[in-house]
Amino acid sequence: MIDTILSNIALIIGTTLMYSTPLIYTSLGGVLSENSGVINIGLEGMMIIGAFAGAAIGYFVGDPWIAFIGAGIVGGLFGLLHAFACVTFGANQVVSGIAINFLGAGIALFLSRMLFEGATMTKSIALDNKMPRPLNGVFHDGSFLNIIFNNQYATVYLAFIMVFLIWFFMYKTKYGLRLRSVGEHPTAADTLGINVIKIRYLAVIMSGVFSGFGGAAMSLAIVSNFRPTLVSGHGFIALAAMIFGKWKPQGALLACLLFGGAQGLAVFLGQFDFEISSQLISMLPYVITIVVLIGFVGKSAAPSADGIPYEREQKN
Amino acid sequence: MKIKFKELRKSIYIFATEKTIGFTLISIFLGLVVGAIFLVAAGFNPFQAYWIMLIGIFSKPSYISYTIIRATPLILTGLSIAFAFKTGLFNIGAEGQFIIGSVAATATGYFLHLPLLIHIPVVIISAVIAAGVWGGIAGYFKAKFGVHEVISTIMLNWIALYFQNFLIYTKGFQKPGGETSYSIQPTANMMILKTWKQSEAGREWLLQHPFWKDLLRTPMNWGFIIAILMAILVWFVLNKTALGYRLRAVGFNKFAAEYGGINVNKNIIISMFIAGALAGLAGALQVVGVSHKVTLIAAMEGYGFDGIAVALIANSNALGCILAGLLFGALKYGGTKIQMFPVKAPSEVISIMIGSIVFFISIPKLIKVILSRKNKKGGTK
Amino acid sequence: MLKRIITIFVIVLFVISVVSCGQAKKESGIKIAMVTDVGGVNDQSFNQSAWEGLKKAEKEFAISVDYLESNQDADYAPNMETLLDAGNNLIWGIGFKMGDTIKEKALENPEQNYAIIDYAYGEETPANLVGVVFKEQEPSFLVGYIAGRMTKTNKVGFVGGMKFPLIEKFEYGFKAGVKLANPDVEIFAQYADSFTDAAKGKAIANQMYKNDADIVYHAAGGVGDGVIEAAKEQDKFAIGVDRDQNSLAPEHVITSAMKRVDNAIFNVAALLVKGEFPGGTTVSYGLKEGGVGIAPTSYKLVPAEILEEVEELKAKVISGEIVVPSTPDTFAEWMK
Repeated sequence: MIDTILSNIALIIGTTLMYSTPLIYTSLGGVLSENSGVINIGLEGMMIIGAFAGAAIGYFVGDPWIAFIGAGIVGGLFGLLHAFACVTFGANQVVSGIAINFLGAGIALFLSRMLFEGATMTKSIALDNKMPRPLNGVFHDGSFLNIIFNNQYATVYLAFIMVFLIWFFMYKTKYGLRLRSVGEHPTAADTLGINVIKIRYLAVIMSGVFSGFGGAAMSLAIVSNFRPTLVSGHGFIALAAMIFGKWKPQGALLACLLFGGAQGLAVFLGQFDFEISSQLISMLPYVITIVVLIGFVGKSAAPSADGIPYEREQKN
Repeated sequence: MKIKFKELRKSIYIFATEKTIGFTLISIFLGLVVGAIFLVAAGFNPFQAYWIMLIGIFSKPSYISYTIIRATPLILTGLSIAFAFKTGLFNIGAEGQFIIGSVAATATGYFLHLPLLIHIPVVIISAVIAAGVWGGIAGYFKAKFGVHEVISTIMLNWIALYFQNFLIYTKGFQKPGGETSYSIQPTANMMILKTWKQSEAGREWLLQHPFWKDLLRTPMNWGFIIAILMAILVWFVLNKTALGYRLRAVGFNKFAAEYGGINVNKNIIISMFIAGALAGLAGALQVVGVSHKVTLIAAMEGYGFDGIAVALIANSNALGCILAGLLFGALKYGGTKIQMFPVKAPSEVISIMIGSIVFFISIPKLIKVILSRKNKKGGTK
Repeated sequence: MLKRIITIFVIVLFVISVVSCGQAKKESGIKIAMVTDVGGVNDQSFNQSAWEGLKKAEKEFAISVDYLESNQDADYAPNMETLLDAGNNLIWGIGFKMGDTIKEKALENPEQNYAIIDYAYGEETPANLVGVVFKEQEPSFLVGYIAGRMTKTNKVGFVGGMKFPLIEKFEYGFKAGVKLANPDVEIFAQYADSFTDAAKGKAIANQMYKNDADIVYHAAGGVGDGVIEAAKEQDKFAIGVDRDQNSLAPEHVITSAMKRVDNAIFNVAALLVKGEFPGGTTVSYGLKEGGVGIAPTSYKLVPAEILEEVEELKAKVISGEIVVPSTPDTFAEWMK
């Protein structure tokens, strides 16, 4: 009895980790961009192109790490595009982000058709060429830890490391301080000699890189191919998670875990023949998110210069 | 030649930079250019593709009619988002509000038995109220608990999707053996001449009269007229009424508005209610005018997300939403035709085109810079 | 600068347009086209299968074929009319979602031939429309039998996309097959309420494998990607659907319940070419008609003696000795 309960808990934790991972990367991307003062609604589009790039490179090259980094680079290119519009040309950041969403989806499918004989779905990658599973076979078969960790990919652990690194970077280094000061008071930062333009560029490009990682964490780990519906809305969930987490990496992590955990719960409850409809159970993760927000999280405030293009006074 | 070109460029520059419409047109042109580049890169002939699109949109009354039908819901979801933008809110929830509107319209359209002229207004009004409340929930959460509307509306979208599926599964609403609800009663139908054109006599007559057959084969309905009236109404409310003034004041500067004695929280709820109502109207019109029922949905249909692009292309201008919606409807409808012989190009080019148009719209400065480059050959960016 | 770029651009476009205008047109008379549902033409499922059938017919009968993809439900009707205007002899709707639309169009255009996959109108079929349905329960029954014979843990699973009658045919056919092979086998069945969420499919399959199932059958589109992935990771077995999905995981997809949409489309094309278009009827493809079956790659992982038994079973279904259940009620009856 206790065994069953434990193994079910382990399963829910496992599902939580699997589900949250792509969201964690992507919401970290959001955290970086928005803390530098650039809203990034385009996470979904960057995630789609990253998922495609990861699957395609993984299929053709056969090395998961090259594919993962490649997905980051391709995501970063879209970040560059966003930065180009928002930082250099003072674009309306929401508008540019929405454009990125259309472009990301459109270009991913377009390239897929070019590379995969007209198919919008990439070919499947063999298990050996997917991300490694570091703890595969380490724990005793059927044990609590085995159920949780046996089939978790390197992307999962890396996501947690990234959260720590970003947190450390943002709050414990001078560069992080610069990033945040650019997002809060760009004018003041500028007078102190901080290069606002450069920092915003880097932050937005990195936000694309992380979204690309998020997409690849789906196409190289959760499954082994890309299809047009693979990402379907996860980028927006990551966006919500970032806001939920009050624009902080650790907050975003918790929000992603909450959402993933609720999904795990929904899957767990779905196996029983309840009187209530499975539709209502599927609704659960979204309802839980709102309830937690209302009950425990409360007001959240964006970095004060978030969304405001920075224009330097003309020096003559 | 050189001088002429310079003058032309100058006039384009003035047109593009001093007038929003001119600038939007330039962005659309550039979007088409980007689409063409992708077509060329993939080995297709862009002129041919665009020509096929053009005749696919304009060459028959039924094509124009389809374009309008595709545009109608997008105009309204665009209005919904534009309205929220004006009051400083980002309504990503038009998708879910659309769903609630369409399911409410189907339910009232099927379960209620009312006389012809009363049924349609009842259906539409109840759908609008239901979706308004759905949008208002997000507003209430923001006003009362400080929950960011972006999160709550994203979550509410998914909740709405599962809620619609849940309702379809309920006994008495689900068409037995199918994955759809029952169709609405004929009294709730707003498609023009629906009963007649589906009757024996109607079909016979139409076969004899190809022009009318072509025109009436589309699910032509009054939705477009309603959408235009709504756009005018929204424009009027925002610009000419005290309510509109208060809402815009909240959007412009929350703190100043509060200082000026405006109840910010109340206006947030009102604004989200109206935004939801507009998106719900889109869903309701789609049901009474086109689909007459709701279907199990596995993924978001995109009416709300496309609406965001419509609102942005229109620069959140209520009347602009009509044109932007039509453009969008035309691209979506005409764009499908390039898949076929003789072009056989992937239809994703349309997404790329739309994305590029929106992208260029986000950066008026870039176009200014490109157009004025020659004057400053010294090398500023 | 700007001027030069534009000039070059226009020249490039012009050259390409001249070059590509020389496309050869196929002169053969008969044209057949199809409208896909929202899955798109390369969905690794029935839309793709349908297109393969058309391509085969194109080669065989020297006809012209074409397709239009739909992005949302609202695309179906306009796509039908685009194909009508393009002068096709036969227009296919791929998928039950087009059921009402295509009937309406068939009544509007009595001179035009239409056909639809996965929809039956029975008595009310217009004379210019053919409904093609498949007995999905029959191949599901056979793969269920294989699962029932091959399970070592006496537990198997079924993952469905969304619960409605078409998907239930897969579920109950499968269950009947499993129970016939071995009445003691326990069957987990769960629906994902999605056809897209691969992560959810994987989570559900993980759960079934953790609960000791060793073979999971899916009828869930993109959700199935996750199911097959879970089988790969845990070195368990999965059963594919609609097409031969063995290529997705060659050592773990033991068999697939195939729906030969391609055969059906090809056959109707052949009839059309001969001038014997079966308008006004519903064509039902089961094992008997070769419209469904198990994957040809099954021999790789399924022992030969089980496949022999499956052949016998198939013969019984074809002869009518076994009527495979397809709904909760008929399944309950079957269990008695």
